[in-house]
Amino acid sequence: MAAARKPKRVAASQPGFLTLKSSTNPTDLYSSKRKRVNKNKKKNWNKHSDINDVEDFLEDIRHQERTTGGLLAEKPDDSLFFVDIGQPKKIEEKGKSSRPLRIDLILQHDSLVPPPKDVLAYQQPNAKKLRRSAQLAAKGVAPRRQKLLLNRRTAPRPTKNAITEANNNPNRDYYDIWGQETKDTADPWYLQQTKKKLVKRPEKLNAKPSVLPAVEVIAPGGSYNPDFFAHQSLLQEAHEIEVVKQKEEHKIERQLAYNKDDAATETIFQEQVQGLVEGEDDDEVWASEGDEGDEEQEEEDGAVGAIAVAQKKTERQRKRERAEKVKEQQRLAEKQEVEKKQQLFQLRTIKTSIKKEDQKTKERQTKRKAKQEAQKAQPRRLGRLKFQPQDMEVQLSDELADSLRRLKPEGSVLKDRFKSLQKRNLIEPRERAKFKRRHKVKYVEKRAFREIS
Amino acid sequence: MGGLQKKKFERGSATNYITRNKARKKLQLSLPDFRRLCILKGIYPHEPKHKKKVNKGSTAPRTFYLLKDIRFLLHEPIVGKFREYKVFVRKLKKAYAKIEWSDVERLKENKPTYKLDHIIRERFPTFIDALRDIDDALCMCFLFSTFARTGKCHVQTIQLCRRLTVEWMNYVIASRCLKKVFLSIKGIYYQAEVMGQLITWLVPYQFSHDHPTDVDYRVMATFTELYTTLLGFVNFRLYQSLNLVYPPKLDSKSESEINEQNEEDYAMSSESYLEKLSALSASLARVVSSVEEEEAQLDQFPTEGEDMENMEAREKELKQEEKAKKLFEGLKFFLNREVPRESLAFVIRSFGGEVSWDKSVCIGSTYEVTDETITHQIVDRPSVDNQYINRFYIQPQWVYDCVNAKILLPVEDYFIGVTLPPHLSPFVEEKEGDYVPPEKLKIVAMQQGHKSVTEDEENEDEDSNEEAEEEEEDNDEEEEEEDEEEEENLKKLEEQRSKGKSLQVKVTPGKMKVENPARLEQEEKAEEKRLAIMMMKKKEKYLYDKIMFGKKRKVREANKLAAKRKAHDDAEKAKKKARK
Repeated sequence: MAAARKPKRVAASQPGFLTLKSSTNPTDLYSSKRKRVNKNKKKNWNKHSDINDVEDFLEDIRHQERTTGGLLAEKPDDSLFFVDIGQPKKIEEKGKSSRPLRIDLILQHDSLVPPPKDVLAYQQPNAKKLRRSAQLAAKGVAPRRQKLLLNRRTAPRPTKNAITEANNNPNRDYYDIWGQETKDTADPWYLQQTKKKLVKRPEKLNAKPSVLPAVEVIAPGGSYNPDFFAHQSLLQEAHEIEVVKQKEEHKIERQLAYNKDDAATETIFQEQVQGLVEGEDDDEVWASEGDEGDEEQEEEDGAVGAIAVAQKKTERQRKRERAEKVKEQQRLAEKQEVEKKQQLFQLRTIKTSIKKEDQKTKERQTKRKAKQEAQKAQPRRLGRLKFQPQDMEVQLSDELADSLRRLKPEGSVLKDRFKSLQKRNLIEPRERAKFKRRHKVKYVEKRAFREIS
Repeated sequence: MGGLQKKKFERGSATNYITRNKARKKLQLSLPDFRRLCILKGIYPHEPKHKKKVNKGSTAPRTFYLLKDIRFLLHEPIVGKFREYKVFVRKLKKAYAKIEWSDVERLKENKPTYKLDHIIRERFPTFIDALRDIDDALCMCFLFSTFARTGKCHVQTIQLCRRLTVEWMNYVIASRCLKKVFLSIKGIYYQAEVMGQLITWLVPYQFSHDHPTDVDYRVMATFTELYTTLLGFVNFRLYQSLNLVYPPKLDSKSESEINEQNEEDYAMSSESYLEKLSALSASLARVVSSVEEEEAQLDQFPTEGEDMENMEAREKELKQEEKAKKLFEGLKFFLNREVPRESLAFVIRSFGGEVSWDKSVCIGSTYEVTDETITHQIVDRPSVDNQYINRFYIQPQWVYDCVNAKILLPVEDYFIGVTLPPHLSPFVEEKEGDYVPPEKLKIVAMQQGHKSVTEDEENEDEDSNEEAEEEEEDNDEEEEEEDEEEEENLKKLEEQRSKGKSLQVKVTPGKMKVENPARLEQEEKAEEKRLAIMMMKKKEKYLYDKIMFGKKRKVREANKLAAKRKAHDDAEKAKKKARK
């Protein structure tokens, strides 16, 4: 306990120490409720001791230092006072530009306290240390600070890789992709598990889905200045295609057309005939009805009988049937035996027939193979739509240009390429999605102006 | 009997296929993304053999994929990128809607992108595989490079396509591997032979685009994305094979030749280099500035008999090819402004000619019209004022026809205002007995060295034409004649005999019968053939007759066409004369 008290006393005896009760207004404490505070806790010292005056004093000192660079009391008089000799002559202002900007003023260093001295800068280097560091440097060992600097991870730079890496960047660079062999030094298992090694592409996928060449050259008639006959043959070809198309169109038209004449004549005919044939018709109808009725009755009887007839067979009947069955089997077996024997004598005919069969199968095989070969060049059905070849590019005789300058290109290469891709089964034929309106468009005449109609 | 009842559609083809929608769901991709993935990875829909089985009893037409293919797609790293991109778009939309521009900026900076290099490596395991499939890539890139920058596709894509096609054309020029050109009404077909592969591509005429509405641009753009990557790598490899610098650089010597004036008028400085490259008028810089490449001599191996002949034939062929490669060497062309500059420059340069144009037409012209050393000026207008005497004024078709014929054709047929001979397709290969247009026959005759005809006057040209026709007819009829020859021989013999009888008996000094060994051999062969025909079985004989009949019919038809053509030509001539 004594040890604990001792420093307290010492502290209190010092001149700068401020006691708890030494606040400026002791009446304050006594006047109203006296506050009881335990003084054995540091927290309470802080809370209930008033240190405002000290703070004010220190603040004042700091303020003085900041604004004037030292205590005012220590300054010489010259720096504090000046002789008033009236207004100084105004210097002609050169406009606003001479005044510093407000932003610069804000950023100016406004304290007059000098920055703290760099202590290390004044330190004399230790010769021993210097020698040692030189030795280490000669060995190649960097000092710790430098090492740390070197080892510091450089912050990842904001790379603009997005622009350089884009696939269609016109300035992208290429390299010898087939020349270099990739070196897989790492463990293959590791590479596989971390998906760093690509799955091998099956050989089958490199087969082309069609035997057609990528670029089909147009027929010789498609020259800009064609040979007469080549041009004619091309025209003929185009013509035939067109004729087939037209035929189909006509057919559909014919099927869809409502034939007025036919319908009209039929109705007239019916009207004319109606009255005349009525009586006979009726009689016949009746007569036939009567007959049908009789037949129906008979049939019904028969049907009823058939169901009822399913009676039990007698023992004799069964025996007889069994015997007949055995007999039949024997007969068949005998027949087969005889046939087998006969076949011995028919060997030659059998041989020829076999040969014929073989030949037939062979023929069929070749045919099938030929068909398959032909199919390979055909576009397959790969989706909802069938492949539709584009219109043939043809120029009529009077459309042909007499010189290269006047040539009007026919068709579109873009479409040609697109159709070629479809033809070679690389993509499925599709059509442009049709625009569907979700809500009906309402037509409203605006009040501002009227539609002229 | 035990065993579980077999359920339908649980084994067999029904389990081997998967519908498009199911595949899409399995990959968790939207339809456009799925389609893009399939195109990039080269996985195509498949038509099953038994649709009803695969479709679980329904016959509705659907798009099917092989299940294994889709499983393979599951491993593709790009799928993840597609998903990332989807999220990116969603975030971007949100940021836009909230007007948070800083977020938009940040998102745009971190836009997820992907590379197709590994796909190229996977789909084309060797360089030759890639070369085989380069046709499509070339067509697509040439097509996209002619698009207007109107927002139908990315401007960057157009620029990249342009760059790649220019690189390709420069390669073709440097390696001189162009073989055929065909001006069609659709576009210009080119064929080149690169490392033994015949590569055909189609280039649209400039400014000929109307954008068709029934073409899916997204699909085309996806294909182009793949093909630009492919073409770039192929270009790199090709440039390497020729020791050229990649990306291409102009030769410093030829670069200095190009007129430098008014460079700023054509293009911005960033683009002017590509423009200069695309002018195709200057040669490219090499990695090792090599001396003129010595012509590779074929290795000589000691050979005997037939091999020797083969070797000689091959050597001859090679020589001809070499000669064809230098077709325009030493010629100096000047292009008028109305002719298709790029195509002509490309063709002329790839056969060793020099070419220039008016400096206001395009960047990269090397000499002026006034140059006295110009040998050919290519013109496509009815008349030209102030002509130079020492040069030919010809129509552009001459260049293309020369390339296809592999010789320099007489320029007379191609002068200004002359009705041009038809531009024949070099891609047609006539079989025996087919109708061959007379113009082609003429060219063939010239190729075989009837130079005398060509050097003569114009008038005789027509004669030679007819001659050639006759020759061909002769060839056609030879086979028929073989059969007839023997009959004639017999007849002659008989006549001689009958003559001998009627004449008084007279002894004349014997003459040495000159036996032509070749003739004898022929006769022997004909005899053998006849005997063989006689020995044929009935069935075979029938077939043989049929074949022969077919051949004869073909010949007859060809003759008919030729006669028709002759009549047509005569009529035309008569008309011309009447007009005159």
